[in-house]
Amino acid sequence: MTTSSTVAPATSGAKAVRARLSRLLDPDETTLGVLLLAPAAILLAVVIGYPVLRLIYTSFLDLSLTSGMPARFAGLANFRAMIDDPVFWQAAGNTILITLITVPGALVVGLALALLANLPFRMRWPVRLSLLIPWALPLSFAGLIFAWFFHSEYGIVNDVLRRIGLSGVIWFNSSLLAFAAICIAITWKASSFMAMIILAGLQTIPRSLYEAADVDGAGPVRKFFEITLPLLRPTIAVALIFRTITALQTFDIPYMMTGGGPGTSTATLAMYIHQNTVSFLDLGYGSALAVVMFIISMAVTALYLRMIRGGEGIA
Amino acid sequence: MTAAAVSTTGTLLSGKPLRALAALILIVNGLFPALWILLTSFKTEAELTQKPITWLPHAPTLQNYLQAFSDQPLLTFLFNSFMVALLSTILTLFISVLAAYALARLNLRFRDLIMSLIIAVSTFPLVTLLVPLFETMRALGLLNTWTALILPYTVLSLPVCTLVLTSFFESIPRDLENAAMVDGCTRFGALFRIVVPLAAPGVFTAGILAFVNSWDEFLLALSFNSNPALRTLPVGIQLYQGEFAFPWPVISAALVVGIVPVAILIVIFQERVVSGLTAGGLKG
Repeated sequence: MTTSSTVAPATSGAKAVRARLSRLLDPDETTLGVLLLAPAAILLAVVIGYPVLRLIYTSFLDLSLTSGMPARFAGLANFRAMIDDPVFWQAAGNTILITLITVPGALVVGLALALLANLPFRMRWPVRLSLLIPWALPLSFAGLIFAWFFHSEYGIVNDVLRRIGLSGVIWFNSSLLAFAAICIAITWKASSFMAMIILAGLQTIPRSLYEAADVDGAGPVRKFFEITLPLLRPTIAVALIFRTITALQTFDIPYMMTGGGPGTSTATLAMYIHQNTVSFLDLGYGSALAVVMFIISMAVTALYLRMIRGGEGIA
Repeated sequence: MTAAAVSTTGTLLSGKPLRALAALILIVNGLFPALWILLTSFKTEAELTQKPITWLPHAPTLQNYLQAFSDQPLLTFLFNSFMVALLSTILTLFISVLAAYALARLNLRFRDLIMSLIIAVSTFPLVTLLVPLFETMRALGLLNTWTALILPYTVLSLPVCTLVLTSFFESIPRDLENAAMVDGCTRFGALFRIVVPLAAPGVFTAGILAFVNSWDEFLLALSFNSNPALRTLPVGIQLYQGEFAFPWPVISAALVVGIVPVAILIVIFQERVVSGLTAGGLKG
């Protein structure tokens, strides 16, 4: 393993120095592992580990920078305030609704796109780019672009509605329509990535299975439900969990499209955390809100880890 | 590979016109929003407020681009975005190359635990750490610096890059390394002289993913850098909107300027990006 044994004999002092040097440059397995993983561990400790502990601590404090009062231990006061806070319930409800709508939405659209993209095109690159560009487009940009699509006067959505004889609607004046517009934008943004993952899964399904089904006289619909879908299950499960966790953190698109409005009717939990922290400077309450979101995300992650440990590998 | 597709959806959509239709649906779905913003960016304010709206610009103008650069320091935003993304990418690659090598090559006792931890980090909602990160950055005197963004962005991409690189390293034969070490290379020497160059496509793929992640990030950039001179592009774009007016043609021009650099990267390296996204990580 080490090369020190091949070094020509020298005086004992020089030998010791050289041995120590070579141990430093050529450490044993465990030392090497620690050395190699140390930078990652330090970074994670600074950016995640310490802040998580600090977050939990702050959530029990009465700490509002605007009040001018020093931080004071407040027990569960922040959490109790949350129960009586209608905006919290609205933001939490919106976040869950967005998750419940856009996760299955992105799955269905993504699956359809993946099946289309898996056709034997002569040129692959236009199809590939049409899935990659939406992925690479910043969420905040997508939010702005869709705000422009749904613009009441000059937006293309209302233009199309008028052209087919319907009247345009003022999307961002109604909580329901604004919420629908947000969900459409999120579904569009998320479905391309979903399609890429599912497409990769589709391409691992052995062709022989379909040939065998052909021999048995199975039609395309039966093949889809009895071969394609079951074999895609692990891929879809992984993609769904990641999508769910991302959906729970929704911020950019509603922030850009509605700013949470009208009123607070389209605000999400992430937006409410941001508002309490950055605008209201109520760090105690902002932290308590974050703890709630943290617990929800960790629960979903735990589910995910259990699933992949259960033998279903990552795509 | 594609033959499998013929027999799944193929019986329904095997004809050439139907395949063309499928391509059209995919392309319109994927590219229309960006295309529409491009068209808007060439329209005059007067044309934009016509009804019914025009689809193609009647009198294409570059005025909006000039205004995008003069109304706000768009070049500064671009520069900040570029530097933050580049520096965090370099840091991410350095740290994840080391970690991935350990995971791919060493007999670590806690390998499974470390892998689970990496996956848990990849799903970690950074928004929940807004308060403590803000306080930590303030305590370290890092608010309103690139570093305040570079560190969290590195964490954002670390799991994906580590997973991509681990699978790349695993595909490189150990014999090459062993031969190098027999020839007197140290383990670190073998890592940087043999393994990393051979894994260059993987390192590059991981680098693109990290770059795009940083380029896109909005919430932390919005929260940690109040200094206008340090704003990144997604945060800077907001400044174009006035109190009552929303100059859509100018905003569109600024958006196009922000999309083009990443679009070029994606067009050139499309296959690599797809392989990286599907092999290593799932975040988007």
